[in-house]
Amino acid sequence: MRNPTTIEPVPGRTDEMIINMGPQHPATHGVLKVVIGLDGERITRAVPHIGFLHRNHEKIEEARTYTQIISYTDRMDYVSGLQNELPFILAVEDLLGVEVPPRAKLIRTIFFELFRIASHLVWLGTGMLDLGAITPFLYTFRDREKILEITEKTAGARMLPNYFTFGGVRRDVHPDFFKDVAAFLDFFETRLPDYYALVLDSPVFQARAVGVGVLSKERAIARGASGPVIRASGVPYDVRKAEPYDAYPELEFEIPTREEGDVYARFWVRFREMEESVKIIRQALEKVPKTGPYKGKVPPRVKPKPGARYRAVEIARGHLGAYVVSDGSEYPARIKHRSPSFANLQLIPDLFVGARFADAIAILSSLDPVFGEVDR
Amino acid sequence: MSRMPLPTERLVQPRLVGYDPTRPKPWLERIAYALFFSALWVMVVLAYGVVPTVFRHYGWLKSPLGFAAYAVIEAVLAFLLAAVVALILIVVLRKYLGKVQERVGPMHYGPAGVFQTVFDALKLLGKEDFAPRRVDWLIFRLAPAIVFVSAFLLMVAIPVAPGWLIADLDVGLLYIVAVSTLGAYGVVLGGLSQGNKWGLLGAFRAGAQLVSYEVPLAIALLSVGVYAGSLRFVDIVEHQYGLWHVVPLFLSFIVYLVASIAELKATPFDLPEAESEIVAGYNTEYSGMSFAFFFLAEFVELFLLPGFMVLLFFGGWHGPLFGLDPTSFAAGLLQSFYFLVKVAVWVWIFLWIRATLPRFRDDQLMDLAWKGLLPLSLVGLLVAALFRMFLEVL
Repeated sequence: MRNPTTIEPVPGRTDEMIINMGPQHPATHGVLKVVIGLDGERITRAVPHIGFLHRNHEKIEEARTYTQIISYTDRMDYVSGLQNELPFILAVEDLLGVEVPPRAKLIRTIFFELFRIASHLVWLGTGMLDLGAITPFLYTFRDREKILEITEKTAGARMLPNYFTFGGVRRDVHPDFFKDVAAFLDFFETRLPDYYALVLDSPVFQARAVGVGVLSKERAIARGASGPVIRASGVPYDVRKAEPYDAYPELEFEIPTREEGDVYARFWVRFREMEESVKIIRQALEKVPKTGPYKGKVPPRVKPKPGARYRAVEIARGHLGAYVVSDGSEYPARIKHRSPSFANLQLIPDLFVGARFADAIAILSSLDPVFGEVDR
Repeated sequence: MSRMPLPTERLVQPRLVGYDPTRPKPWLERIAYALFFSALWVMVVLAYGVVPTVFRHYGWLKSPLGFAAYAVIEAVLAFLLAAVVALILIVVLRKYLGKVQERVGPMHYGPAGVFQTVFDALKLLGKEDFAPRRVDWLIFRLAPAIVFVSAFLLMVAIPVAPGWLIADLDVGLLYIVAVSTLGAYGVVLGGLSQGNKWGLLGAFRAGAQLVSYEVPLAIALLSVGVYAGSLRFVDIVEHQYGLWHVVPLFLSFIVYLVASIAELKATPFDLPEAESEIVAGYNTEYSGMSFAFFFLAEFVELFLLPGFMVLLFFGGWHGPLFGLDPTSFAAGLLQSFYFLVKVAVWVWIFLWIRATLPRFRDDQLMDLAWKGLLPLSLVGLLVAALFRMFLEVL
């Protein structure tokens, strides 16, 4: 049967209230609208509506040169801005046959993991805001600010730096960069115990999260979920291990996985991922040469040879892919972005129905959608 | 390798307008807090000390005219006190949350932002008090009044020092249970009358929560009454010379603490207005002064519930008197000061809890009330009765 797009009241049923959650709702992380049937506080039906932030990304990109497109990819998942540039760049690099110098790979990896931490910090703050705790929000944004300052020093912009480019990065890092990153890691490691105390170890949080919104392994795979959502359901799928890119093959790290699949597991996985990111960046800082080339040889006019290429990376929200079709001109023939939040959002009817209304908010924040990337 | 400097590098250090958080002035804030406290103290001394003492001294209360004058003056004073309490507590809450969250809080109106809530109140006064077409007009307008009046009526029952009280009620405990329940009506009616689904959900939650937590709260109050052998606040405070009730009645104190946070609708029990879930809950459609009355009432209760806690469990106005006659005016000043200090400490603890914890879910809230607090409060009542028996025997 076709998925119903709206909820009609059931004739004669008076105990169900149909309510629009969003698109203007404080806890929908942007512009999600979910039409919900409520029996008291229990959700009987839920239909998500998306598209309020649709900006026609893929079509616009067909009319831009390859270099211009990079700044558009930033704006998909704006919370982990820099990470979104990479799949498109990797695909075009493959089509061009460009060799990326090892130093550039390491710099890209450092930035990539910094933005994972930044994105998880935003998720943690807003997620706890959804659960009613106001203080973690300001703590996490304060820490994220330091990452944005590091990015600003090197790339010139904060959230959407447009810094990666074909063959490496756009310019060399700021002289203070490696020192700043090391200082940030030290600072961040002193902060993590606070977050554990305020969130994961808090009995009130555990009461809200343990056993709530349980997602089975089979369901997660069937819906195409990825990222922390699928890893919290016991599937150790991570693009960094499955199809390694950049400097990941030479770095050692774990994929935190948990079997429960509830809200608590999804929170736990993201916490552990932040710790793993710290480990990755520390290794990369040891390996990276302080000076050297930051960009490979790339022709001034980017004209990949005809062909198609799909590359994927593991951004903070999961498997982000870019499918680039080139016809040999300066403009791509077609670009398709495969975005993780879009797939994760399909879980809403599964997870919402039968939950209580307050649980729905917790579930939504544990899925962590960003609508720039869902709607594109 | 040479590197071109970026134009944005100049902007790495943000330029700050007005206030520089890297050079805070903590003394300014301390002075502000001292000013708040003295303003509150002056109001309390006026409303509870000076006016009742004068009226009793001259025997004016015996004539009907004198009694009417007393009632009017005290009503005005209590209203002003409620307003001062709310204005102060709101800015204290915001400053304190700022401190916890490593930011500065309100900064710009008055030294260290002390007049922020005054300007907020002026803004709310100037706003249109809008009512959507769907509302049940009479109830919609009545609800904020009920909420505020119930909070305001509670002010009458508080004694702040021996002889310093507005009305000496023999059934003080029953009075506060009865009147504070009125506030729940206001919240529920306000949510139901506005024809908004979020308001409806908020009203449901508020009704369930406030009514459920009234029960353990009332039993905790009752156990104090049993132990002290009186429902009069003055007798209860007098009974605590030697040993504060918090020691023998520790269980009842815990019940009162949790239930009063729930009655305040503060985190972790802020479900009726849980912003991230049901938008604004029972006050979704309220604006202007109608909204302000809900807000004022909430903060008056934030003063009153710790106030009752201090009276019932922490010896009220007890403190060293340095040889003063306990019934003299100077001793009254000192004792009301002790009372306010104890209340301030408890308000701070309430704010601390509010700043730290996430929110419970509705069914967990009900479980806590009926499965946790209610049995605990009954045990507390039993303990109070046993202790009372031993007191009688001794």
